[in-house]
Amino acid sequence: MKSFLTKLFPGKDPVLVFNGFILYYFLADFLMRVQLQELPTLSVKPYLTVNLSKKTIIKFLNLRSFFTFFNLLPIFIFLPFVFISIAPISGSLSAMAYTLIVLSLAIFNNFLILYIKRKAGSNGFIILFGVAAMLILAALDYFNIISISHISGLLFSYISHHPLWSLIFILLPVSIVGINSKYLRNNLYLEEISKKEVAKVSTDYPFLNRFGHTGRLVALELKLILRHKRSKSALTMSFLFVLYGLLFYKKQLIDKNSFGSLLFAAIFMTGIFQIVYGQFMYAWQSSHFDGLLTSPVTAKDFLRAKFLMFTLAATLVTMVTFFYGFISWKLILLHLCVYLYNIGFGTVIVLYFACYNRKRLDLTKAASFNWQGVGASQWLLGIPLLLMPFLIYLPFGIYDLPFWGIISIGLFGLITLAMREIWLNLLTRLFIKQRYKIAEGFREH
Amino acid sequence: MLIEIKNLKKIYNQKTVVDIPSLSINEGELIGLVGNNGAGKTTLFRLFLDLIRADEGVVLSKGNDVSKDDNWKSYTGSYLDEGFLIDYLTPEEYFQFIAEINNISQSTLVERIKPFKEIFNDEVLNKGKYIRDLSKGNKNKVGIAAAMLIQPELLILDEPFANLDPTTQIRLKKLISEIKARDVTIIISSHDLNHVTEVCDRIILLEKGIVIKDSEKTEGTLKELENYFTV
Repeated sequence: MKSFLTKLFPGKDPVLVFNGFILYYFLADFLMRVQLQELPTLSVKPYLTVNLSKKTIIKFLNLRSFFTFFNLLPIFIFLPFVFISIAPISGSLSAMAYTLIVLSLAIFNNFLILYIKRKAGSNGFIILFGVAAMLILAALDYFNIISISHISGLLFSYISHHPLWSLIFILLPVSIVGINSKYLRNNLYLEEISKKEVAKVSTDYPFLNRFGHTGRLVALELKLILRHKRSKSALTMSFLFVLYGLLFYKKQLIDKNSFGSLLFAAIFMTGIFQIVYGQFMYAWQSSHFDGLLTSPVTAKDFLRAKFLMFTLAATLVTMVTFFYGFISWKLILLHLCVYLYNIGFGTVIVLYFACYNRKRLDLTKAASFNWQGVGASQWLLGIPLLLMPFLIYLPFGIYDLPFWGIISIGLFGLITLAMREIWLNLLTRLFIKQRYKIAEGFREH
Repeated sequence: MLIEIKNLKKIYNQKTVVDIPSLSINEGELIGLVGNNGAGKTTLFRLFLDLIRADEGVVLSKGNDVSKDDNWKSYTGSYLDEGFLIDYLTPEEYFQFIAEINNISQSTLVERIKPFKEIFNDEVLNKGKYIRDLSKGNKNKVGIAAAMLIQPELLILDEPFANLDPTTQIRLKKLISEIKARDVTIIISSHDLNHVTEVCDRIILLEKGIVIKDSEKTEGTLKELENYFTV
């Protein structure tokens, strides 16, 4: 980490950079937790009726919430640096002070999130509000109005000289744990802890009706995506990944037309939904797969709906990515070519692998860090999908014909798109052959 | 003859779970399938509905092999378990979906839902709930209604009386009799011998995958079955 900081901020003292970074981290940590950390409430149900005092149950709930990835992360990020770089300079006492503060802040965040989530249920506005607050802070920081890194820097330099003051930080976790426990003690009834129910309404997507049975199946799947946490987070991720290019697209690369280096990001951004959602394909519907098989929906219509859905999703995401046109028009061309590849060839690959995926997905389970239903076939999927465009591009790249390279990718996509009916027939045959095995796998809990 | 079974065998891990050399079911019959857990009732239903592959033999529906020809889906209504329900939909949306894929118009759907009002008992429709949030019994009702909605020629229900309250059980029996009057072939399974002997005309008793009794219902059937199940 020290060498990393020196590289990232050359000419600056890594310890100062580190000091400035700590508060930032916990701000980001807070936002991540809002989005991803789950409440450990439902697991309490079996204990409420047995002979345990409420106090014990609350202790159990509090203790359980420690076991999350987010509490481990700061330990891995900060503590090595504290012991390697800070301890020798400022002494072991200030290293202990750092450790204490880092742990206090982590625990504070942990319980603050739980408290907020318990109070508000899963209210999306909190996340929006948090992101907005974060952006405002970052902007204020950027324009030097107030500086978090400055405050953080000042604070930690002071602590490193007066380590005993760090003891004050213990008040943070202690008070929030107290507030949380009190809230729980007053509200330890299942119906109150668990989320408040909102009346569900029936929806209809008239736009999709014009596609007949296929459109109806797409509408069905759209509801599936929007009404389950796990699939919804796949969707959110697709839109967040649109920003991925900002990391990858460097000015020199674009000026030199080195599309080979941009290709990966482009495929990922325009095809992300296919990859993230498609990797669990048909398993999303595992809980009602028997119902689908006995319904008069033909295998062909079923698969046609998948094609339509992927095409719609890729089109939407690609249209969003056109804002990269502000950086360079070349990126629009690149995205367009890769988009054609994704809907032409990528969809076929995804649906092919889907026929070999027999792991049931239980969509009622948590969304994040849930590896249920993950198997080898999911990872295999990415290889041909991401490799193919590189293979097409390679000869053109070698002979320095970058534009021909990406246009070939687009052309390849267009040809495979034109062959869709052929793919559809092949996949239908495969699906019908595999249907018993898929259904059997999905029936296993 | 609507359904014909020839040399049907299903084997799981070297254990034969269904073994029926021959069985035929005629139009308009109301058949009750009984047997203890593990007798092969659900497996047989799944074979009827082509949800599992038969290791030997065929199930013919109107003369066509159900595993080769999809035609049976247009006239067969079925509800075996919650795996048939699209549980993230509201019941209204689910009925709508079933109606659409079966090319049933909106107005016909409204008409066909009416007879279920009594069974639903105001606990299913317009409650602002997804199917997954309904109780087991109410899920069961949604599944049965969806299976009947398409006015099938063949209706297959696995344990339709399970999880229903007594009033609903009686209403359901009435509904089944009404449907039977339209010459629909109905196959139901149940653990409750009273229900089966009350509504069905023909009783098939399964044990370890083998048909050990297949006869028209008579006065003495209930007694006979009770004797069989008393160990």
